[in-house]
Amino acid sequence: MAAPARHLHIPVEHTTLANGLRVVASPDRSAPFVTVGVYYQIGFRLEPHGRSGFAHLFEHMMFQGSENAGKMEHIRLINSSGGLLNGTTNYDITNYFESVPSNALERVLWLEADRMRALKVDDENLRNQRDVVKEEVRVNVFNQPYGGFPWLDLPPVAFRNWPNAHNFYGDFADLDAATLADVQQFFRTYYSPNNAVLLILGDFEPAEAFALAKRYFEGIPSQPLPPRADISEPAQTEERRGEVAEKLGPLPAIAIGYTMPPRETPDWYAAAILDSILHGGRAGRVYRKLVLEEQIAVDAEGGADLLDTNGPTQMVSRIFHKPEFTSEGTVAVYDEVIEELQHTGVPADELDAVKVKFRADYYSMLEGGMGSHMPRFGLMHYLACFTLFDGDPNRVNTILDGFLAVTPEQVQAVAKKYLVPRNRAVLMRRPVNPGGAQ
Amino acid sequence: MTSPSAPAVRRATPPALAPERPVEWPKRTVRTLANGLQVVLAESRAFPKISAQLYFRSGNAIVSNSAPGLAEMTATVVRTGTASRSSRQIEEDLRRMGASLGTVSGADSSAISASGLAEFSPGILELIADLARNASFPDDEFERERRQRLEELKVERTTPGFLANERMRKTLFGQHPYAVIAPNEEQVAGLRREQLAGFYRDHYVPDGSLLIVVGDFSAAAMLEQVEKVFGGWKAAKPEAPKSAAPPRHTGRHVHLVNLPGTVQTQVLTGNLAITRRDPDWYRMVLANAIYGGAFHSRLVLNIREQKGYTYSPRSGISALRQQGFFTVHAAVRNEVVAATLTEIFYEIDRMRALPVTPEELDSARNYLSGVFSLGVATQDGVVGQLSTVYLDQLPEGYLETYRERIRALTAGDVVAAARRHFDSANAQIVVVGDRAQIGEQAALFGPVTHYDARGNVIP
Repeated sequence: MAAPARHLHIPVEHTTLANGLRVVASPDRSAPFVTVGVYYQIGFRLEPHGRSGFAHLFEHMMFQGSENAGKMEHIRLINSSGGLLNGTTNYDITNYFESVPSNALERVLWLEADRMRALKVDDENLRNQRDVVKEEVRVNVFNQPYGGFPWLDLPPVAFRNWPNAHNFYGDFADLDAATLADVQQFFRTYYSPNNAVLLILGDFEPAEAFALAKRYFEGIPSQPLPPRADISEPAQTEERRGEVAEKLGPLPAIAIGYTMPPRETPDWYAAAILDSILHGGRAGRVYRKLVLEEQIAVDAEGGADLLDTNGPTQMVSRIFHKPEFTSEGTVAVYDEVIEELQHTGVPADELDAVKVKFRADYYSMLEGGMGSHMPRFGLMHYLACFTLFDGDPNRVNTILDGFLAVTPEQVQAVAKKYLVPRNRAVLMRRPVNPGGAQ
Repeated sequence: MTSPSAPAVRRATPPALAPERPVEWPKRTVRTLANGLQVVLAESRAFPKISAQLYFRSGNAIVSNSAPGLAEMTATVVRTGTASRSSRQIEEDLRRMGASLGTVSGADSSAISASGLAEFSPGILELIADLARNASFPDDEFERERRQRLEELKVERTTPGFLANERMRKTLFGQHPYAVIAPNEEQVAGLRREQLAGFYRDHYVPDGSLLIVVGDFSAAAMLEQVEKVFGGWKAAKPEAPKSAAPPRHTGRHVHLVNLPGTVQTQVLTGNLAITRRDPDWYRMVLANAIYGGAFHSRLVLNIREQKGYTYSPRSGISALRQQGFFTVHAAVRNEVVAATLTEIFYEIDRMRALPVTPEELDSARNYLSGVFSLGVATQDGVVGQLSTVYLDQLPEGYLETYRERIRALTAGDVVAAARRHFDSANAQIVVVGDRAQIGEQAALFGPVTHYDARGNVIP
């Protein structure tokens, strides 16, 4: 009934400059735009002790001015070229990216090089962005029902090593304690060309793009990198549990996180497929059981950040359940889903369907990934992760094969090995006011 | 990999822009089938996927005075069963085609949309058609979805952004159907399965509806498929009812939604404005970009980058089919509610009184023409732009001429648009927060009406 699948091949070219900056280009002349990203291999996991939230605060500082582009200049130059820009802070990476008409490519590269070479900020900028970040935390966490659930709630319960377990958005006292000297130190330590990858995607000739990259970035000196910090977790021996008060929302919420196998191991591929069996939308087993069949939950979904993390990470199920059911009882029904998978495995037709959806979702991620505002955002993101974590951007063309080769036996084995209480954390958000708004 | 040798440089000024390449929107194949369904096809072949959207020109507004929530509940339950497929079958069929499905109802339209792998195009179209023609509204699925909606409504009532938008729409639109953005719990509890089936029968019809398909196909072959799948469907379109006119507002008025104990205040100001079909539309879009519609805009520069009051302030124009409106929003710390409102109105007054600088004008024109065209690079972006054109019945060349129209605008156009459509003197002001902390500040801007989170007026 289906036509033959078209094999997708993404063109990828890459080089490393003399200062250690990796440059990855993926040309596509079909529309006159380029998406450019600079990814630094530093995320909130490795921010300094006593400075929770600093990696994210620092990301804001990267928009506050560099040697030749003062405050708001970076933003003005991108917007007035017809483009959009943003930055995000993640576990193991911080990224800065722009989508612009392709005639602005050289300008974008100049801007990114200028701030990689010489950030130029002052105390006033720091005070200003500290205020902005606090409002960001309030609007996303304190003043939202289920704010921070579970990305801020679960790590302190699930993990024991500070890099994995602290408040990534930052305690306000820690944000207040951050100084300009901290900003400069962090910049010197982590924002060097040899700790980064430059991605250029879209409408350009690769030779021209590499020449421009060399021209603007190669003169930036490399820096000795600190020894890789120990982000490993001590062995877990029993289930971990935690509770957080939900001050606004009326429904009880539960997050269940299982720590995943290390990146690029055979178990890791099988775990990604297992994740899709459990969480693949309304056909996923968790939604089907809890929302459609038993009708305990109002919503139940989840997922694992496997491709873009490089350290301890969890597959997390998020469940919002009706108030007439207990959270304990809800977890017990969830456990039936897990046990069934462990005992009877996955039928071949279900596995085949999950793989088709996995392939479709992968393509969708490559094409867009940030609404329709940042074309090829997902492709940029994966190219960066494959370069920084695995040393091979071409993995973007081969990684799917690994997921599609997973067998039913592997899925069942990984379910038995990883989906066990001694490998999980359970976090309950309990409403202070179960009736809702007064 | 070898790179041509070029000396590394440090330059102090930004490189100039290279010559611009033209943006080519995909050619559209547009047909109206014998049953009245308008079909718009566009090839976009970079990824082996398709994205299809079927729009009916009736949404929440058409029933908001008679049965609020009926259109959205109909859309929700549409995906839970057809004459030949159970809810579970539908979800499994989608998965095996690598497809995602959305069934939603907005103010002016209801939509069934699916995207998935191109190799399954016929199956994806057939599933959309099955949902559009043969939905069965199973009792148990309806009851389950209704209960879920009731729980969601309770969560929405604790969400500051939702409460602000709800109050603004009630204020701006009065008796007009656009006043209602969500039903209340009693209204959802009162819905009957037969009402859903009735709305579906009357409004999910081919005549006057719109099917957009974008993706990895040849348009000729796709048109044949579409005719095969949708050609045999017949039903007449419903009559469009007349709506009450929205009220005229005189003077500023403050609407305070009290959420005791909150650590931040949601500020929202607004006034009625124009639709996309208004001759002032392009001028208004440009004025908005300079005022607060972009990162590099006056509002963001002022209350974020200079004063640090807020994280993500923005202004925007919401262009519904019958009537548009202009809003400005910012989530701010409680101590600076009055200061924020002062700056919002200062910047509006400045737009209305003084010409923008040539640099601002140039920058905003470039911003809009570039960002508008970014959509061409993704299937979703193309679908989004095509749905705007064909739902709002904009002129055929809208996509191709947008950039030149924006670039032809002058500083005089911006002031003119601001004076007509950014209303400062009669702005409606909504603040959602802790009355004890913000009440006095809010009262500086006009008479205040207080509400609780359920929307009741409180003393």
